[in-house]
Amino acid sequence: MYNVTGKKTEDQVLIELSGRIDSNNSPEVEKKIDEILGGQTGLPVTVNAEGLEYISSAGLRVLLHLKKTNPSLTIKDVQPDVYEIFDMTGFTQMMTVEKAYKVISIEGCEEIGSGVNGSIYRIDSDNVVKVYKNANALDEIQHEREVAKIALILGIPTAISYDVVKVGDSYGSVFELLNASSFSNILATRPDRFDWCVNEYVRMLKRIHGTVVEEGKLPDMKQTVIKWVDFTGKYLPEEIGNKLRSMVEAVPQDMHMIHGDYHTKNLMLQGDEVLLIDMDTLAHGYPIFELASIYNAFIGFSEMDHEHVKRFQGFDFDTSCRFWKEFLRLYLGTDNEEVINSVANKARIVGYTRLIRMSIRRGGLDAPETLAEIENWKRELIELVETTDDLLFEKNEITVPAETDNWPKVLEFIESRMEAAECSPKVMMQVELAAEEIYVNIAHYAYAPGKGDATLRIETYGSPAEVTLTFMDKGTPFDPLKKDDPDVTLGASERDVGGLGIFMTKKVMDEVTYEYAEGHNILKMVKKT
Amino acid sequence: MLDINKKIDGTAMTVAVSGKLDSVTSADFEAAIKESIEPITDLTIDMDGLTYISSAGLRVLLSSQKIMNRQGSMKVVHVNDTVMEILDVTGFADILTIE
Repeated sequence: MYNVTGKKTEDQVLIELSGRIDSNNSPEVEKKIDEILGGQTGLPVTVNAEGLEYISSAGLRVLLHLKKTNPSLTIKDVQPDVYEIFDMTGFTQMMTVEKAYKVISIEGCEEIGSGVNGSIYRIDSDNVVKVYKNANALDEIQHEREVAKIALILGIPTAISYDVVKVGDSYGSVFELLNASSFSNILATRPDRFDWCVNEYVRMLKRIHGTVVEEGKLPDMKQTVIKWVDFTGKYLPEEIGNKLRSMVEAVPQDMHMIHGDYHTKNLMLQGDEVLLIDMDTLAHGYPIFELASIYNAFIGFSEMDHEHVKRFQGFDFDTSCRFWKEFLRLYLGTDNEEVINSVANKARIVGYTRLIRMSIRRGGLDAPETLAEIENWKRELIELVETTDDLLFEKNEITVPAETDNWPKVLEFIESRMEAAECSPKVMMQVELAAEEIYVNIAHYAYAPGKGDATLRIETYGSPAEVTLTFMDKGTPFDPLKKDDPDVTLGASERDVGGLGIFMTKKVMDEVTYEYAEGHNILKMVKKT
Repeated sequence: MLDINKKIDGTAMTVAVSGKLDSVTSADFEAAIKESIEPITDLTIDMDGLTYISSAGLRVLLSSQKIMNRQGSMKVVHVNDTVMEILDVTGFADILTIE
């Protein structure tokens, strides 16, 4: 059984197809479509396929023919089974084929996350839906799916939507997310898990910021920030606006990934796995831009109205401030207040630039409360721009091609960090020795016979500082600690220098641990004071 | 990073090293010894001013000691405390003749 109906107006043709279309009836279907068109070619044609149950290749040929005479052809509301036929035969590449969207309701569903562009609700124990604010969100959904896929392929754990649904007048994308709880929720209900949350939060961010994105795959955050500056600059004294712009323009091109909306509602704990959600703001760029949006989420938005963070994140302003401080300390790998404050101030510059623009665009100048907020942000911004020269900061890690020739570069980096942390010459020498032995090992063996990168992260906390070094490489999984210690009592003729480096490392450092995780050899060592 | 001074007097050679003996500089140290070691029966490694030694440096000391065990003798002089600590930990203090 099948049915073809339709109507033609002056500027378009609507055709409704239903039932089963196969080789038995396709000649009749084609004839009926021709009747509806009445010989007219080139008009936009929309085929409503809501009632279409099946279409064989004979039926597809009819549509192909229709596409030839009327190139602007859209097939819409296609049921999932039928869509699969279109997809398998490559028709989705040749013409616009839109799926019929399942309609779901979020009434009474728990809101478990929210971001700039939408909110996430749990629809049952296994699934969540992200409902977009924008009514025409199909492009956004498509974009988010694509960037989430890019992130997943690059090793960032995230949920990818498997279906698009209609939610009231909006669209939503459906994800599988089992028994997951957001970090905001954990912070609000489990104060004892505060340290764990900050640690995992920093770990995930380091992972994002350590991921290099291919040119053209993601937007350049710097270009976005320049747009913010262009807007907000108009509300600032001219020389401040100019200085702000030149500081942003001087930020180096950076191909590392940035999440763009990295707050604790967008980090989920599913079982014992930490997952990122809300990927639509994914970009690449210099990490100060990320720190800016983090500052806004935890403090910036709530500077005047401390209850704001409670409403949005579920925890109080005090927790939020503590989180921001501890986050920055761990992210920068130092508790040097001067360093931390300097980076925080740079983040605030970009943060306020964005907040002012956002609020003004939402009509913030028209209400006394939001106007006061804008004035406050402006005051802070002007003062910070006046006293700041650039938006750069020193990362606590270095990545180099793992070759012995690059050792001096790595050494210079850790020496300068240890000097800044006022480590004693003896500690510096011992850390240097351990670092050299591990680095040389990676350079010789990790990628042999190929080549690859080595990353070294350094953290210095306390005074005199305890030093933690973390080496990471993506080479062959190898645990150097498993090797037996050499026999150091043997005479010269029986001795072999093999294994001595690791042995010395273990001797001079207080803790040395190895793990293979997320595709990396991770060797961590601590020198206590 | 590493200063190398070599003095040869008949079959005696003194190689003085100061600075750091690490994975980058050890190759030069090794070359300096190896190119002249053939006729040598008395080898002295003078470590005055040497502040650092990693396993790459130890490797050169060991191979030199092995050669000298066959053709003469070798001693190491002017070892500072930090370097001595490394030689102790690795058992090299027992292999080498340190003065």
